[in-house]
Amino acid sequence: MKRGNILLLIVLMLFVALPQLITVKYYLHLSILALIWVIMAQGQNLIQGYTGYVSIVQAGFMGIGAYSSALMSTNLGLPVSATIILAPLVTALFALVAGYPSLRVKGHYFAIVTLAFNMVIFIVLLNLTDLTNGEAGLSGIPKPGNGRGATIDFYDRQVYYYFVLTIAVVMTALAAVIVRSRVGQILLAIRQNEDLVASVGVAAWRYKLFAFVVSAMFAGLAGALYAHYQSFINPEIFSVAQSLDAILAVIIGGSGTLTGPVIGAFFVVFLPEYLRFADSFRLILYGLILVLATIFMPRGIVGLAHDLKTRFGSAR
Amino acid sequence: MTEILQQIINGIAIGGVYVLIALGLTIVFGILGIAHFAHGSVSMFGGYLTFFLVVQQGLPLVLAIAIALVTGMVLGVLIELLAYRPLRNANHINAFIVALGLTMMVEGANLQFFGAEQIVIPTNASRVFDIGGLTLPELRLYVILGAAVLIAAMTIFVEETKTGQAIRAVAENRDAAILMGINVQMIPLVVFAISTALGVAAGVMVGSLFAIAPGVGEGLVVKGFAVLILGGLGSIPGAVVGGIVLGVTEALAAGFISSAYKDVIAFIVMIAVLLLRPQGLMGRA
Repeated sequence: MKRGNILLLIVLMLFVALPQLITVKYYLHLSILALIWVIMAQGQNLIQGYTGYVSIVQAGFMGIGAYSSALMSTNLGLPVSATIILAPLVTALFALVAGYPSLRVKGHYFAIVTLAFNMVIFIVLLNLTDLTNGEAGLSGIPKPGNGRGATIDFYDRQVYYYFVLTIAVVMTALAAVIVRSRVGQILLAIRQNEDLVASVGVAAWRYKLFAFVVSAMFAGLAGALYAHYQSFINPEIFSVAQSLDAILAVIIGGSGTLTGPVIGAFFVVFLPEYLRFADSFRLILYGLILVLATIFMPRGIVGLAHDLKTRFGSAR
Repeated sequence: MTEILQQIINGIAIGGVYVLIALGLTIVFGILGIAHFAHGSVSMFGGYLTFFLVVQQGLPLVLAIAIALVTGMVLGVLIELLAYRPLRNANHINAFIVALGLTMMVEGANLQFFGAEQIVIPTNASRVFDIGGLTLPELRLYVILGAAVLIAAMTIFVEETKTGQAIRAVAENRDAAILMGINVQMIPLVVFAISTALGVAAGVMVGSLFAIAPGVGEGLVVKGFAVLILGGLGSIPGAVVGGIVLGVTEALAAGFISSAYKDVIAFIVMIAVLLLRPQGLMGRA
């Protein structure tokens, strides 16, 4: 067995054992949120880290996933297990519509246009009160499974933890498969030199749209898991600020790596809990970390660890 | 008909503010290739500072604006030196991420210093002119005139002065500009000072015409970029036309369709232009 695989197994076992090690219930809650954010960050990483297009609409897509899953389960009475699968597909439809014009522009302009889409989604969630209940949000969103006291009781935080952990592992594996496939290689090539990719006869826009839509599906899935976990959602949590957090998670963890988003997700969920600052301080600190990390540590924590390892290795 | 004309006048005032923001963004982009996303938050800082100086310190409005302009210029220069300059040779996406980080920092600082309350800069301009059934509040007139003067001043500066020529030269070809003896270390600082001054002016206009609150700056900078997409990048006439088009569209949308969805409609116009005329309304094909 290769060393990397052993490490992976140890990390996985740690995640499985985590609920038994945690004594404070609140940390279990944060761990569930962090795992949901792992899915968010893996999606963001596909478009930002691997394709080189900074998308600022991920929280908006998370919102579409959350609201569509919540509404399908409450208004249409569909089982939650079905709506959690359907929600990413609904999100993908929106992402197709948003991605087509957005991907006609590159670099900064792509970022700005996607951000405009996040604002549009936010405004619609806020004002489409018949469906979304506006600022007050939706409450009483059902959990998966057969209700309280069932054999597998999703109201039990440990059960929900393992549920989200399973999905996060599957999605991370899916991201790994995509990245290592031919499509993933083309995405990497687009990041390096898009003109070159186009010049050898590859329709780059198709691959970019694919990456954009898949990343949106990750976000939509994360949104659905979030909605059914919290039982309550409102537009606030799907604003541009959360999209910036997704970007931060990818940068700080290590963009264009598979472990980076995992580290980054736990970072953005746990850090504000440890630094119990006012919201304004959190913004200043996050901003500062983002600036310093980009200037001094552009490859994130994973890149830093890698550098340290090679230095240590060569010293021997 | 008067209703439509009325909304167009309202739209021109808002559009003037958008033009100022867009001009600040376009000169920075021209020189450094950076989408200076923090521009909106820095502009709001200027608006907040003006409010603070007038209301808390009791300074006259003109003096307060002058101090805000100078402070804003210093802040702009510092941003260039400390945050963007280290990334001169890095990937442009990294510079954009730094811009996002700066936005968070400035937004957080605004929140910390000035609070989360919505503020309005008080002015004495409360008269309302009546022109053939159309109402034109004095304040709106000042905003339109102020924007026009600043746009003209900036155009003259960039087109006619020696420094303006140097700025255009660096935008065109940095290496050639170095060979011609232009101080390329200095030019970005000048550009950031001008850009931020225009932004602070826009911030004061927003603060007196509407209101300043957390998040307004982000909305404003996105509108500024929308103007650049509408008008075509790097063109001053394009920014002016784009800004007015965006402002008027928004005012008409707010007046006749829905004020809640006016931003949505403005963004739809931007996306439509992106699809039909990717080079912008005034851009060269």
